[in-house]
Amino acid sequence: MADPVQAAQEDVFASLVERKKWRLHHIVFLAAGIGFLAWCADGVNLRPRELAGGIPKIVEYFVLMVPPKWGFVEKIWKPAIETIYIAIWGNILASLIGLPLGVLAARNIVRQAPVRFVAKSTLNLFRSISELIWAIFFVAAVGLGPFPGAVALGMNYAGILGRLYAEAMENIDPGPVEALQATGAGRIQVILFAIFPQVLPQFVTYMLYWFEVGVRSATVLGMVGAGGIGFELVTTIKLFEFRETAVTLLVIFGMVTVIDYASTLIRSRMY
Amino acid sequence: MESTNVNQKSTAATAAGQKRDPMMVSLKNVSKTYTGTGVTEALKNVSMDVREGEFLVILGPSGAGKSTLMRCINRLVGPTSGSIIVDGQEVTNRRHALRAVRRKVGMVFQQFNLVKRLSVLMNVLSGRLSYHTFWRSLAYSFDKEDKRIAIECLVRINMDHKAFQRADTLSGGEQQRVAIARALAQQPKVILADEPVASLDPKIARQVLTYLKQIADELGITVLCNLHQVEYAREYAERVVGLSRGELVFDGPSGQLTDDILRQIYYRDSEAGDDDDV
Repeated sequence: MADPVQAAQEDVFASLVERKKWRLHHIVFLAAGIGFLAWCADGVNLRPRELAGGIPKIVEYFVLMVPPKWGFVEKIWKPAIETIYIAIWGNILASLIGLPLGVLAARNIVRQAPVRFVAKSTLNLFRSISELIWAIFFVAAVGLGPFPGAVALGMNYAGILGRLYAEAMENIDPGPVEALQATGAGRIQVILFAIFPQVLPQFVTYMLYWFEVGVRSATVLGMVGAGGIGFELVTTIKLFEFRETAVTLLVIFGMVTVIDYASTLIRSRMY
Repeated sequence: MESTNVNQKSTAATAAGQKRDPMMVSLKNVSKTYTGTGVTEALKNVSMDVREGEFLVILGPSGAGKSTLMRCINRLVGPTSGSIIVDGQEVTNRRHALRAVRRKVGMVFQQFNLVKRLSVLMNVLSGRLSYHTFWRSLAYSFDKEDKRIAIECLVRINMDHKAFQRADTLSGGEQQRVAIARALAQQPKVILADEPVASLDPKIARQVLTYLKQIADELGITVLCNLHQVEYAREYAERVVGLSRGELVFDGPSGQLTDDILRQIYYRDSEAGDDDDV
């Protein structure tokens, strides 16, 4: 008589081997995948040889940047700080707009599908328009300066953060929500006391991460007149003042590094 | 509908001239059918009355409808038909009235359902939310009276020394005690305990059941407790209601739980009842 355990094992092994076999549709999918990537490569004119040929030119640019003209720091420290202001207020606006929309878009909070659809569509709209395009609109509306930059950043990031917040809230443990509903707490009280405490660490992580990204984004907003260090960056490049460009880039690099370090520190302290 | 052993306290209260229905919870012909993937009849025409201050155990295997029965009482689940009256108030779907009923009915869960990242005290205080407007809650603030009540509840279940600890630092038994304190902070008339000891070891389970029993005896709060272990029911319950496949098959003092009746509740002849709790 055959050992039933061994028989079962052999069965499982046999079906494992069967599952691992290559089938025709696997090969078709693989070929289709490779074909699609090749088609995209053609679309972007992927020419590695030309890139390799262009390396000396790129090196030339960098040579022109040396030595950096350190005195230029005096002129750009103010716009650099302005960039950080833009990132901070852009992110605060993003959370102020994104959080309520995220709450309305979360499946486990809002039962009415039309409400969620409207909230989600609004978030998609905000997200799909890049902050640079928003900045062009707001510069036209309220004039040059850091303020339209912050609002532009806020609109784009509201779309991103709102969606991330909504997803975080959808993935919570539903038990405490039910427990608070059972106490007779209202809908908003349940959100405040059962949902927000659960997602707070994620919210802070997202906020800090998108603040980092925001600082980088804010460095280019100046190109369209929305304040910050971007204006100086573009100007120096246009005037072929590469030694000044070098200083500007180093300042941006320094800012991003410091912020990255600080946010890692904050996140490690948070549990 | 039996009420074999009459509670002296509630008779005294009625005699004192309070023209109140002595029944704290009344279910009349309550049925619940879940539709969706297949039709499940979770409750079939269940009727029962629970007196004020009674400690009632609802006994049955998993899948018997115990949880559904409880959730119908505070409308976490809406019954398909039948009526439920809690403390003289019909349980309805209308939001305002429902919140008023829910405030009177505390609930304790198998999985404790505390907010893990909040302190013990904050968890207990959230039992007070139904007494506040949401404007107040927006600031996450509670007044002195709330805090006094919350601490009192923590003292009752002997957890006041851990008031400022985070809920996720506690053991299972401690978490369940905090959950009981949260239910007490509502100042409820009824506490529904849905398999409160199913995830605890026997020693801690007895401790938790003792607290629940004390609450019924000392505070006069009606406690309905779902259990699937017969020995706990025998040890703690005055009255047991047996539920089997959504039907009420027994209602009487725990002393009358004969093997015959248990076989009826747990339908030992089929394999379905032997599954552990999910």
